Amino acid sequence: MTETADIVVIGGGIIGSSVVYQLAQLLDPSTRIVLCDRGPIAGATSSSCMGHLMVTPGNAQEYALTKTSVDLWRGLHEQLGGFDYNPTGALYLAESEEDIEMVPVLHQQFLDQGDQAEILDQKQLRDLEPGLAHDIPGALFYAGDGVVLPMLAAGAMLRGAQQRNPNVVVRPNCAVTGFQRDGDRIAAVVTEKSVIQTNTVVNACGVWTPGIGEMLGQPRVPIYPRAGNLAITGHHVSPIRTQLLEISYLRFAHAASDVDPTQTDRDAGGHAVNMQPQTNGGCLIGSTRQFRGMSKQVNRELLKRSLLRAHRYVPGVAQAPIIRSWVGLRPYSIDNHPLIGPWDPVPGFWIAAGHEGLGISMAPITGLLIAQQIAGITPSIDPTPYLPGRFAL
Amino acid sequence: MSGADLTQLDTVLEADVGIVGAGPGGMAAAARLAAAGVRVVVLDEGQRAGGQIYRQLPVGMHNHGVVQEPPSHDDGHNLIQSFEGHAKDGGEIELVRGATVWDAQPGRLWFEHDGVSRLLRCGHIVLAPGAYDRCIPFPGWTLPGVVTAGALQVMVRGFGVVPGKRALVVGSGPLLLPTVTSLLGAGVEVVAALEASSRMRALRAVPAVAFHAARRREAMWYMKQLWRNSVKLQWGWTVFACEGDGRVERAIIGKVDAHGRPRKGTERTIECDVVGAGFGLVPSIEVGMRLGADTHMLPVRGGHCLVVDGEQRTAVATVFAVGETCGIGGAEVASAEGELAAAAILRELRGTTVASAVVSRARAERRAADSMLGAFAPLPGLHDLARPDTIVCRCEDITRLRAQEAAAMHGDSMRAIKIGCRAGMGPCQARICGPSLQAMATGVNACAMDVPVVQVPLKPVSSETILTAPQ
Repeated sequence: MTETADIVVIGGGIIGSSVVYQLAQLLDPSTRIVLCDRGPIAGATSSSCMGHLMVTPGNAQEYALTKTSVDLWRGLHEQLGGFDYNPTGALYLAESEEDIEMVPVLHQQFLDQGDQAEILDQKQLRDLEPGLAHDIPGALFYAGDGVVLPMLAAGAMLRGAQQRNPNVVVRPNCAVTGFQRDGDRIAAVVTEKSVIQTNTVVNACGVWTPGIGEMLGQPRVPIYPRAGNLAITGHHVSPIRTQLLEISYLRFAHAASDVDPTQTDRDAGGHAVNMQPQTNGGCLIGSTRQFRGMSKQVNRELLKRSLLRAHRYVPGVAQAPIIRSWVGLRPYSIDNHPLIGPWDPVPGFWIAAGHEGLGISMAPITGLLIAQQIAGITPSIDPTPYLPGRFAL
Repeated sequence: MSGADLTQLDTVLEADVGIVGAGPGGMAAAARLAAAGVRVVVLDEGQRAGGQIYRQLPVGMHNHGVVQEPPSHDDGHNLIQSFEGHAKDGGEIELVRGATVWDAQPGRLWFEHDGVSRLLRCGHIVLAPGAYDRCIPFPGWTLPGVVTAGALQVMVRGFGVVPGKRALVVGSGPLLLPTVTSLLGAGVEVVAALEASSRMRALRAVPAVAFHAARRREAMWYMKQLWRNSVKLQWGWTVFACEGDGRVERAIIGKVDAHGRPRKGTERTIECDVVGAGFGLVPSIEVGMRLGADTHMLPVRGGHCLVVDGEQRTAVATVFAVGETCGIGGAEVASAEGELAAAAILRELRGTTVASAVVSRARAERRAADSMLGAFAPLPGLHDLARPDTIVCRCEDITRLRAQEAAAMHGDSMRAIKIGCRAGMGPCQARICGPSLQAMATGVNACAMDVPVVQVPLKPVSSETILTAPQ
C-alpha cells in the first residue's frame, strides 16, 4: 500500500507524541501527520522511566529549556488532563559534606534565574514531610517541580492531537524498515504496513535514534542507552507526599558522564535516590545509571544500593511492599544535551532525541521547538544549543 | 532490622531438592524423594500442607460444622499423612510455611518468611505452585460478598468461616461442585448452582469420567450431595450482574448461548448474600518463567502453561514442573506428575530407574483430565457480561471502556493495554485481571492473550526483603 503524509513522526514515546501534539496545534487541521512506532505507543523508555518534571537552574540556557517545558506541562494538564499531573515540588536532600555544600549553591542558582527555593531547617523539613528520617542535615525545597505518568500523558497528547486535527494517524506495531530518496531529500518512509510518501520526517526514537539515521546512510548520532533500575511499591503505603531527590542526583544524573558509553562492560554504575509519590498512594523509587548496552536485566546490586538510600531518608519505606522492579534505557547524548532540530545533511529529516533522564520534563518544549521550526514560526526559546548539526561532520 | 538476630545459617537453607508448593504435586514429589533419603525443603504460602484442594484448618482449629468430603480426599489424607510423616523433626522434609517465593535462579529460590529475607540453595527444583482463579468481570463483581470459588474454599475449609446465609454458585467446570458441597457443609443454603456450559457441551466430558473409576466415583458422590440437599445444577445459565447496597443482596441470572454470550430476555432476579464465582483456573507460571522454562498456550488447560518433557523436566535441566503450572488438570494429575518428577530426579541422584508404571500413570491421568476439561474450556462470550463502566482491573480501578480506549490508541497487545491505562500494573500484576483483560479490551478470543511479562519480585515483598536478600 502506498499513501501520502505531510509529516511522518517515527517513535511514539513521550517525545514523538509531544511533537505530534504541537504540530497539530500549529499546523492546519488538513495536515496529514502519521506517527509510527514499532511497538506499543509509549511502550519503551516512556513507560519504564520516572515521571519527573524537573527545572534545572544550572545556567540560563538550561533553565529556559526546563522551566518553559515544565510550565507547558501545567498547560497540558489544564487542557488535556488524565495523566496524574501532581505538582509536588521537589525536596533536595543532602547527607555527605560535599552534598551539604551544594545546598546553598543550588539555592543561589534558583535565585540567579529569578526563581525561588527554600533552605529548610530540621523542623521545617519535618513539618513538610513527617515521614522523613529525623537526622537529615541538609534540605532545599523547590516548589516548581512535579510528577506525571508519562505513558498516560503520551496517550492524552495523541488524543488531543486527533481532536484538533482528524488527519493525525497513530500506528502502533508498525516498524519503519527503510526510506526512499529523491536526490538528497527524503521521498518516502517504508514501514511494515505501507510506503508513506512524504518530504518531512521526525526521528524521535530515543535510544534507537542512531539506527534510523543509519537507514539513510548517515553516521550514528552519539546517543547511547544508559540503564536505570527502578522499583515501585503497592498502593496507599507511600510515606511521602513530596518528590525527594538526593542533591547529588544533579551531579551524577544530569551531568556528562566521565565513563565511555561505548564500553558497556566497564561502567560500575552510580545511584542517587529519587522517590516519587504516586496519586494511587504508591511510591516510585529510583534511580541508578549504568552504561551496559541494551540489556534490560535488573542489576540487583545497583537496585539494592538505591533502596538502601531510600530507607536511609524514608525509614518507613523499608516495610512497604515492592510489587515490581524493572530497567529503563535512557537515551544519553554524549554532550548531555538533547538533539532538537533539522539534520542538515538530509533535507526534511529532523531529530528530537537524546534527553537522557529529562525526556519527560523536556517533552513539551521539544515538541514545540520542532513544530515551530517546521511551521516556520520563531521558536519560543533559542534552539541553537540543541541543534543536531553540532554532531554533523 | 528484623533479620539481624538471625544468623546466616538461618537465612540460608540448603537442600538436595527445593520444591515450590505443598499441594498434591509438591507433596507427592517430596514424599517420594524423602522415602529415598533425599533432603527436601518445601516452600508454601499456606499455613499447612495440602494446597488448595486438600486445604487443612490451621493447627488447633476445628470445624464446628461437618464439611463433607468426596472420596478422592482419602487419597489426599494419605498423601498428607505420608508427607507429614517425613516432615517431622529429623525427617528428610522441611516444610517452610508462609513462605513467599519472590525470585528464582536454577539452584536458588529467594523467599520472604515471617518478614525475613531467606534463600534456599538446592540442586534440583520442582515447581508445583498451582493455579489462580479465573475471574470473569460482570457488573457488580466487585461488591463485597462476591468471591471466587478459590476464596470460598479458603474461607470455609481453611479458616472455618461461614461466608453468609444464602449462596449463589456460578461458573464453569468441575470446581463448581466442591464449591457447592463446601458451602453446604458450612450450613449455607445454596439457592442455585449455575453452570455456563450447556448440557450438550458438558456431555463431552462423560467418556473421560465414565471410563475413569475414581472420577466416576467422585462425580456420583457430588451428584448425590446435590440431590440430597435439593440443589439443582442449571446448565447454560450464569450470573449477569450482582446488586446491593454496599454488599451483594441479589443477583440477576440468565441463560447464555453456546459461546457463553448472555441471552436477552432470560433474566431473573435471585436473592442471595454470597456469590461464589468459579470460572475455572489459570496456571501459575511466573516462577517457572523466571527460571527460564518455556511456555505454550493450551486453552484446554487454562492458558499459558510451562512446557515439560516426558519426565516433567523444563527447558532448564535442573528444574521440573508438575501439576497445574503445566496446565490445569486437578489433584490426580498433580500427584502422578509429582511422583514422576521425583523418580526422574532420583535416577540422577541415586541411579535408580524410572518405573514405566509411574510414567504411564502420569500420562493417563493427564490424558483423562485434558479430555474432561475440554468440555469446560473458557467460553469467550462470557466476556460480554462486562459493561463499558464495569471495572476490569481492581487494583487500578480501570473500566472496560478505558481498557478499550487504551487498546485503540496504544496497540492491541497485553503490554500496550497495560501501558495505555495502567490495568494490570497494580499489586496483582495482572494475575487476576490478565486472563480476561486483553479479550475484553480488544474483542479477540480469550485464549489468544499474550504471554505474561514476569518481573521481580514475583509476588509483593517488602523493600527490606529485597535489600537484605542473601546471596
